[in-house]
Amino acid sequence: MNMNIKKLTALLLAALMVLALAACGAKDATKAPETAATEAAAADTTEAATEADSEEPKNEEEALALHKELLERENAILSENTELWEKVFMKADKGMAMIEDGKNYGDFLLDTVETAKEQFTDKEYEWLKESATEISNIENKLTELEEKYPEIMQKSMDGDMSMPAGDDMSMPSDQSGTDKMAEQGSMQKFPAFEGKDLDGNTVKSDELFSGNAVTVVNFWFTTCSPCVGELAELDALNKELAKKGGALIGVNTFTLDGDEAAISEAKDVLAKKGVTYQNVYFASDGEAGKFTTNIFAYPTTYVVDRNGNIVGDPIVGAITEKKQAETLQKLIDQAIAADMG
Amino acid sequence: MDKKTSGISQFLARFRGWIQAGATLLTNWHLPNFWKGRLYQGPGKTVCVPGLNCYSCPAASGACPIGAFQAVVGSSKFHFCYYITGILILLGVLLGRFICGFLCPFGWLQELLHKIPTKKLSTKKLKPLTYLKYAVLVVMVFLLPALAVNDVGMGDPFFCKYLCPQGVLEGAIPLSIVNSGIRTALGKLFTWKFSILLTVVVLSVVFYRPFCKWLCPLGAFYALLNKVSLFQIKVDANKCISCGKCARSCKMDVDVTKSPNHTECIRCGMCIRACPTNAIRFRYGFGDGKEKITKSNTEETK
Repeated sequence: MNMNIKKLTALLLAALMVLALAACGAKDATKAPETAATEAAAADTTEAATEADSEEPKNEEEALALHKELLERENAILSENTELWEKVFMKADKGMAMIEDGKNYGDFLLDTVETAKEQFTDKEYEWLKESATEISNIENKLTELEEKYPEIMQKSMDGDMSMPAGDDMSMPSDQSGTDKMAEQGSMQKFPAFEGKDLDGNTVKSDELFSGNAVTVVNFWFTTCSPCVGELAELDALNKELAKKGGALIGVNTFTLDGDEAAISEAKDVLAKKGVTYQNVYFASDGEAGKFTTNIFAYPTTYVVDRNGNIVGDPIVGAITEKKQAETLQKLIDQAIAADMG
Repeated sequence: MDKKTSGISQFLARFRGWIQAGATLLTNWHLPNFWKGRLYQGPGKTVCVPGLNCYSCPAASGACPIGAFQAVVGSSKFHFCYYITGILILLGVLLGRFICGFLCPFGWLQELLHKIPTKKLSTKKLKPLTYLKYAVLVVMVFLLPALAVNDVGMGDPFFCKYLCPQGVLEGAIPLSIVNSGIRTALGKLFTWKFSILLTVVVLSVVFYRPFCKWLCPLGAFYALLNKVSLFQIKVDANKCISCGKCARSCKMDVDVTKSPNHTECIRCGMCIRACPTNAIRFRYGFGDGKEKITKSNTEETK
């Protein structure tokens, strides 16, 4: 009799476990179409490079324009697949002089890609090889231009337009590769995104960052009470930044992929807190979306410079904490100072 | 028949440590996350684990029921969480405080600490403190998160934020070791909760399961359901010789012969192992099992 009850219990418990597992499975299933839908929304943010290599500049002004354009293009290639490049940089032989005789940064990348070949899939390898070759070509042209018009290099960088991240690479210098690689390693790009603000206006990360001396990106979600607690202070900071040519944007993680209900709830909270700065969302499976899933503590605030590079370490925790506010201010000042050159 | 069930009871009581270890591992399945400094965020996190185990533990396979409850109650949209309450009632009815004794990782930790050989102190005289955990449950887990709200209608998870040592141990400490951002965010709150953890750790060495006895809101919830749980302890009055060994062996200060389904009983089975006549055993099922005992008695007398 007792034995039967034990058996029955075991059976019941087993059934319970199966049900529990089934519940998990069901959750999974309902999630699947969601992600499938957002996959379509994940747009590649790279812009098509403008054709510029065929023309020969006639004067210094044209050379300057071409120089800038080439720099931008190299920058675009490097920022197109940051993760992949990051892998290449990791593999780079730090002791190796970057620019050997007759070799440029592109060749260096090409060599590095070649040595780390097994790290990549065929497709990745193909892409990297192509890109590195193109960078090599760009570098050659840049050197040519710089030899012809020695002044343009300085001008190209002093220009009021955005300074591409890769530009210091184009400097023909005999500096050893070690320093350059260290610089490259510490510079982490903020992942590119093409999203919308909560009112539906398109926001592109490259335009956003290049248009501001410094951009503060605050990650939050609607039901996070420390996040909501700092909204008013962030709004004040945004107004402060506006005077210095900077901006603050919020990313509410609930609103990723443009969830209607989440957007209206977020807007509610923002309105209650009197927030006027822009809040944006993007696709959760894009580069920036994946970046967001790796944030585990909220709020987290990033400082991004004009070139789209992350300045310093992210600030974890609300800036209502004095220590955090000070750290953030330091990073902002640092970015603005660097922007002024 | 009887021998066999008492055999199962004996087995459970004897191998409890291994079951606790296994349960802790299953509750924290994603071990590689410890050195990656990431949290598992998959579908498992939409379900809660039976024991007290922090959601923010890098390895955690599910959510903490107490944490999840506070998160929902404290949000501006809801005032009560039926999903978690339902799960807790189900678990309480199915297993009761068996969860504390066999499945809770934090309970296991306190027991391991108690194995450190030092002078051990009895908690019998501190019995009034056992009611504190009900206050923690009602005030910190439910009332404060639901009622102490900010201008947007959001409350803080008071228990998690100000009291829970498991959160510091499993969340704050491992995450701050690998993540420099979190490390710099550590402030007064961390110092406060770290002191609580330290106190619990030290107390656990001299007292048996101090946190479970006095503070744990999850234990309090299961304690209330211990009386009606399908998982019971049965004392065979005919076999009992009233030697009192069971009461003396009980580290939760329960006299099993007087109240076999006491709120404080965590079903650890120490009394079962202590009983010289095998009069105590686990029983699973509806009712109080009196009928069966008389039946087996008649079988025996035949």
